[in-house]
Amino acid sequence: MSRAYPLPTNLSSSTVTNTASLVRIVALGLISGAAIASRLFAVINFESIIHEFDPWFNYRATRVLAAKGFYEFWNWFDPTAWYPLGRVVGGTVYPGLMATSGVIYNVLHALNLPVDIRNICVLLAPGFSALTAWATYMFTTEMKDSSAGLLAAAFIGIVPGYISRSVAGSYDNEAIAIFLLMFTFYLWIKALKLGSALYGTLAAIFYFYMVAAWGGYAFITNMIPVHALVLMLMGRYSTRLYVGYCSWYAIGTLASMQVPFVGFQPVRTSEHMGALGVFGLLQLVAFAQLIRSHLSSKQFQNLLAIAVVSIGVLGALGFVFLTYKGWIAPWTGRFYSLWDTGYAKKYIPIIASVSEHQPTAWPSFFMDLQSLVFIFPAGVILCFRQLRDEHVFVIIYAVVASYFAGVMVRLMLTLTPVVCVASAIAFSTLLDTYIDPTEPEVPEEGKENADGKAKETGGSAALAAVSDIVAATTTEAAAGSSKTKTAPKPKVKGIWGLDTRFLVVVNAIGMLCFFVMHCTWVTSNAYSSPSVVLASQNPDGSQHIIDDFREAYYWLRQNTPQDAVVMSWWDYGYQIAGMADRPTLVDNNTWNNTHIATVGKAMSSPEEVAYPILRKHDVDYVLVIFGGLLGYSGDDINKFLWMVRIAQGVWPDEIQEPNYFTPQGEYRVDERASPAMRNSLMYKMSYHRFSELFGGGQAVDRVRQQNMPKQGPTLDYLDEAFTSENWIVRIYQVRDEDVLGRDLKSANAFTAGKKRKRTKPASRRRAIQQ
Amino acid sequence: MVQCWRARTLLFFASAFPLLSAAQQSFENSGIVRTVDLGGSLVHVTTTYAAKALQDNADSYTIAVPNDDLLKTSFLEVKVKGQPKPLVVSYGGASDAGAHLLNAALTKALPVNGTVNIVVESIQIHATRPWPERAAQDESQALKYDTQLFVLSPYKTLIQRTKLKSTNPSIISYTTPEKVEEFTTENPVSKSGATVTYGPYNNVPESSSLDFVSKHQQPVSINYAYDFPVIEVTKMSRTAEVSHWGDNLNIQDDIVLHNAGPKLKGHFSRFMFQTQAYFNRPAPHILPALTVHLPAGIRNTYYYDLNGNVSTSRLRTAPSTPRLGSKAQAQYSVLELKPRFPLMGGWNYSYTLGWDAPLSDSASYDAISGTYTVEIPTMTEIAGSVVDDAELKIILPEGATDVEYALPFPAISSELTTHVTYLDTIGRPAIILKYKNLTHKHIKPIFVSYKVPLAVHFRKPVAVATVLLGLFGFTLVARRIDLTIHKKKA
Repeated sequence: MSRAYPLPTNLSSSTVTNTASLVRIVALGLISGAAIASRLFAVINFESIIHEFDPWFNYRATRVLAAKGFYEFWNWFDPTAWYPLGRVVGGTVYPGLMATSGVIYNVLHALNLPVDIRNICVLLAPGFSALTAWATYMFTTEMKDSSAGLLAAAFIGIVPGYISRSVAGSYDNEAIAIFLLMFTFYLWIKALKLGSALYGTLAAIFYFYMVAAWGGYAFITNMIPVHALVLMLMGRYSTRLYVGYCSWYAIGTLASMQVPFVGFQPVRTSEHMGALGVFGLLQLVAFAQLIRSHLSSKQFQNLLAIAVVSIGVLGALGFVFLTYKGWIAPWTGRFYSLWDTGYAKKYIPIIASVSEHQPTAWPSFFMDLQSLVFIFPAGVILCFRQLRDEHVFVIIYAVVASYFAGVMVRLMLTLTPVVCVASAIAFSTLLDTYIDPTEPEVPEEGKENADGKAKETGGSAALAAVSDIVAATTTEAAAGSSKTKTAPKPKVKGIWGLDTRFLVVVNAIGMLCFFVMHCTWVTSNAYSSPSVVLASQNPDGSQHIIDDFREAYYWLRQNTPQDAVVMSWWDYGYQIAGMADRPTLVDNNTWNNTHIATVGKAMSSPEEVAYPILRKHDVDYVLVIFGGLLGYSGDDINKFLWMVRIAQGVWPDEIQEPNYFTPQGEYRVDERASPAMRNSLMYKMSYHRFSELFGGGQAVDRVRQQNMPKQGPTLDYLDEAFTSENWIVRIYQVRDEDVLGRDLKSANAFTAGKKRKRTKPASRRRAIQQ
Repeated sequence: MVQCWRARTLLFFASAFPLLSAAQQSFENSGIVRTVDLGGSLVHVTTTYAAKALQDNADSYTIAVPNDDLLKTSFLEVKVKGQPKPLVVSYGGASDAGAHLLNAALTKALPVNGTVNIVVESIQIHATRPWPERAAQDESQALKYDTQLFVLSPYKTLIQRTKLKSTNPSIISYTTPEKVEEFTTENPVSKSGATVTYGPYNNVPESSSLDFVSKHQQPVSINYAYDFPVIEVTKMSRTAEVSHWGDNLNIQDDIVLHNAGPKLKGHFSRFMFQTQAYFNRPAPHILPALTVHLPAGIRNTYYYDLNGNVSTSRLRTAPSTPRLGSKAQAQYSVLELKPRFPLMGGWNYSYTLGWDAPLSDSASYDAISGTYTVEIPTMTEIAGSVVDDAELKIILPEGATDVEYALPFPAISSELTTHVTYLDTIGRPAIILKYKNLTHKHIKPIFVSYKVPLAVHFRKPVAVATVLLGLFGFTLVARRIDLTIHKKKA
């Protein structure tokens, strides 16, 4: 046996095991550290602050939970959201995230560590990412070995596809959900491998935690049954599968029904029917196995045929009947949009208007996964080599998640773990092969000893891994099944010398280094902005913070009555509730399309039409985001078409999208803007007094790069109440009705000393005479 | 010296005690001059009495303060002119006209015809009000101040006058007193520049009597332009935390600011605000930024509000100078504090400002008695502002014993509680003091002395080490216990 390089021989095996165990623990510790540290860019570059939109609600809910306790939180009715409807928060949230923070908060305070609840919320996602790395390590270890596990942990720790949803401050359900996803999968694999009811129950408990934490739990609800079904179709039914699946399904489903927001969905909606069906099928198969052991094979064949047909027909009829009677809910719009990417845009604009519901662009796969995206298929194919039960799981997971990641940007998140696992398997196979010092022996003519043959199969598999994987899987399988019969004159495959090894290993390490650099760069540049605070640079290179959002929200909080109702587009609802602490009409929990369409209608109608809507909803202040001065492109004028579309969906007679374009079909805000555009409340509020700021010069909208007309729009029904430093947030107060009962437009004209037009009363007189 | 920020308590005494006939005509005022420095939230009133003793061995001079003035007064100090030490004042009951009499004990008794100049310095708070009550963003600001025409005194006065001094010569209106021919033949009121003078009025009898007050006393008011924002601190709570391990004194102020100037008429226009800033013509009632003097040598200064960090402020730190005991004039750090939005009239803004300072700058250790003494200032001045409600919490190190404190002026309430924070086992002693109506005159150090036994310093590391050791020990044992029911066959 020759080696490419010498190995120490005087080590006892226990020393090696202990050292390896220590190295593993240290490596896992370092990986956890890296996972946490790389998510802290946001805190270091900005501050410890809650990011984006949805996290503000979660934070607000957590504060209620921390201040008033679990019971109060459970029964919390929030009258300030969806004014005047209100929101039963306890029954319409996935409480897992808040409960997690609440438990951490209470534990720390019990230990006399009075950590601020905000810091717990901000740092929850990085903390759980370390746990995700550990769960991925455990999962991958089940797939291959612990070295692949460590690689997978390192990948998931820093891969941007996961970081994008779990930086410090991104206090959203996904922050804990990915850990729960991976850990539930790990426990399922364990349950399946061991046929252990204990692991099945643990999987069910973590499944319950996942259900309580994230709407994406349906992914687990369908992945595990699909896995079980495929195993059965492959003829791999076993008592281990039966025990594992049944203990998971029975306990998990009962537990998940305890979450108020889920309720009876697990037995009534279509998304959960797969799991129920597989559960039933498993019982049948198990029963069939039992009968088979008691009957002759001929009788059994007949019985099986009849049973399969009748049960299949009965089941299908039953399902149709239940759906028809409305006991099982029909498929929802969000579900359809998973299959037809154009569906949402046509029928549910509110779903399509969210940028993270758009189909994924190709570059974002590279941005989020870098080199893993092309190593990942190799790992999936390597799973075919052994094709144990758990490998089937990875293969199914890879296929399903790849599809969903292509449909919706946010589902990138569910693809990322399997990419890391599969890539780690591929990478570690590669490294195993090339670091292994064993060299194949050159066979002497006509003489082969058994030892050499064994080496040779190993060597052939190793080379196959890189050169011709598919071919190798077949040869390996062939070699594994019949070692001596095939290969009368086998070709010697293997790696000789150090140079080849060196070349490949250095190349592989180089790729890993580039991966780390890419991840760091993407994390620090793309995913670490809180979006509540914007940053720019001063001429001297120092950081300049643009803090208009918080400025305006704080003004609302400090200088308006506590019960003043604020209307804005739904994107800002949670932020207003969280930072300004004022009632809002609509927010990011977009459950009531009509209410949102009402706001859209008010925004896109002329003042006279919008004013009664505002009065009817007790609106005191209207808040718009305007980026024209600073060049902030995420402003309301750019979102305006969605407001028009959503309003059009409810009032197609009053609001029509084409009216907001020029006759040439352009979306313009300058002199050539369409009349509907220029008269809309949104346009007027955005550009009110904007051109005056340029002091006679040409006013330019820096987002749309259009020259604004000299004469800006005037407002009759609203007053400018506050404008933030860079004009990003503009708040208008809705005027009271005129004391003399005139409409506000003519009242204003009267105050301004303009003569009333004579035409109107004249025509009215004539009408009376007739 | 009397601190009158507890005017209501004082009034209670006034009704409880029977009248004392303080006016023994032991003195005669040869002249009284009252100077009122008109301001925003604070109005300085300095009254100088030139007194002549009519009896031998006159050792107590009585000052009369009208009830209205006493309610407004936050600080009052009586001195002999030219002497730094204030006189001891005792309450002498109320006169029949409702004025409160204060007896100042002179340091040495006067012979007949001996003279003394007594200066009464007081600060009135909330004594002005915006007039007109509302002002648009581009309008100027005017305030109104009301007072009484005559200075009251239990003694006869040969000549008295009242000067109302404004900072701006544009005085919009002032009251012309009527029916004062008895005291003056000339013009009863005159204006020169930014000063309005009432008087001189000659031969005023004992003016604190009911007879005089009902007959001659009359209200006067002045409406004057004021060029600075009127700032009020509605609520201030200061937390000072002493740490010997970190050699650190952390001070944190939670402050609610209120612009008490004229309420904003119409709405705030950012465009107009930016135009005003561009042409350097800011409106007087807008508060765009504050300058605060913080101690020298501070570090880790933080400024945030309910929505997080505010990034618009600038800090210039001065190097640290140990101050306790040394008379050297200390330097200070300057913080330019800019609220998130400019404070228009009637607007509020709340924020938190905190910093760490080296403990050695404000603490000393007496090795003989083993006592630490820490000096903690009552507040940080925000120029021209009054603090309506203040709460001070001084947190001492865990396990501190023999806690004693010396207050520069009595608190409304004070208590000793326990504050539990990071990794404390028994909690730290904390002193909570409550005050009302503080002004810059009340910025004085509170001295706290306590003992910290050496063993107490090690309480925290020992506690943490014990817990960790327990955890490791538990794991050590737990890993070696086999709980499997069915032993796997090897």
